Amino acid sequence: MTLHVWWDEPADGPRNMAADELLAAEAFDRGTMCMRIYGWQPTTVSLGGFQRGAGARAESAIAGIPLVRRPSGGGAIVHGSDLTYAAAVPKTHPWGGRPQLLYDALHEAMRRTLGDRGVTTALWRPIEEPASPVSGEAFFCFDRRSSGDLVVLDPGSADGRGHKVMGSAQRRLAATVLQHGSLLLHRNPDVPTAASHPGLHDLAGGGFSAAAVRPLVAAWIAAVAGAIGMEIVEEPGRFKDEESVSAKAREFASERWTWRR
Amino acid sequence: MAAAMKFAKSHEWVRPEDNGLVTIGISAYAVEALTDLVFMQLPEVGRRVKAGESLGEIESVKAVSDVYAPVSGEVVEVNTALPGALETLGRDPYGSGWLVRVRPDDLAELASLLDQPAYDALVKSQPH
Repeated sequence: MTLHVWWDEPADGPRNMAADELLAAEAFDRGTMCMRIYGWQPTTVSLGGFQRGAGARAESAIAGIPLVRRPSGGGAIVHGSDLTYAAAVPKTHPWGGRPQLLYDALHEAMRRTLGDRGVTTALWRPIEEPASPVSGEAFFCFDRRSSGDLVVLDPGSADGRGHKVMGSAQRRLAATVLQHGSLLLHRNPDVPTAASHPGLHDLAGGGFSAAAVRPLVAAWIAAVAGAIGMEIVEEPGRFKDEESVSAKAREFASERWTWRR
Repeated sequence: MAAAMKFAKSHEWVRPEDNGLVTIGISAYAVEALTDLVFMQLPEVGRRVKAGESLGEIESVKAVSDVYAPVSGEVVEVNTALPGALETLGRDPYGSGWLVRVRPDDLAELASLLDQPAYDALVKSQPH
């Protein structure tokens, strides 16, 4: 098995979502796992696939920030101080079955990667099954908790929620699974506190500068691949050319898609 | 479960009714695999669907999943109570957890779907 990886330049919301949808098709065509690592330019809020547009309009903390709706589920994320990935696997892949498989695989790999750097995190689990009350429907992803979220535990906190530093959500298509995820690197200084959550740099000290991110992610990808013996294939250049992405990006930029709910 | 029930590889079930319609839902395996369903969007009555097209969407805590039409035809009835009572899907996926009723264009499409033993084998082969 192979794991194909593209390191993409930052792009706007519609282009990133379009590229990720194409990534799902790529995983199906190649019959193996594909990942895209990328950033956002400009700072963008991504809404979960089913979140209400009215909820976004009511959040004054994100007023004026460009907004895109993801095809995947989950809560809203203010992108700009995070590292975003998309991972796609065919449903025949060992991680293509139940949603928790791919979710836990990628988060557990990051837990071990951070552990190697002296940062203790944990995969959050609800105290009672099914979801505990704290997994509710907060607007922002990093205010929610669901099983497998990567958290930095806070010994002084009695509620066990910890600080969520990595969350992911999926779009499950007919033959593939597309998973979006975000690793929060530091607080976003460009948005009010309500939309700015503490990241690794804030919680674990100064070892997570911009220069340290690429080696961290490379080590994470190696841990992901190593978990089930995949051979990493680092693909040169951008994932797709502008022409391929643009047509699909128009769909994600449309009012109809953005305010569908 | 009715003997005539057929399944799509994408985990929808379809059951022919005596009045020529087919009832469509999602399998117990799919419901259990998704866990913690939070929202469902179903089509409107009158919508035409083709086999393999998205018929609606389900959101769980972690995932948005498409529900695919196992046959082509016209949606003639929608279980409008379901989105407000998603627990029904877990409790009775092959009964009161039905999603839509469709007037099929061609019942022969059912022949390409899986019967119960074949679907059970598919589920057994899924990654756990």
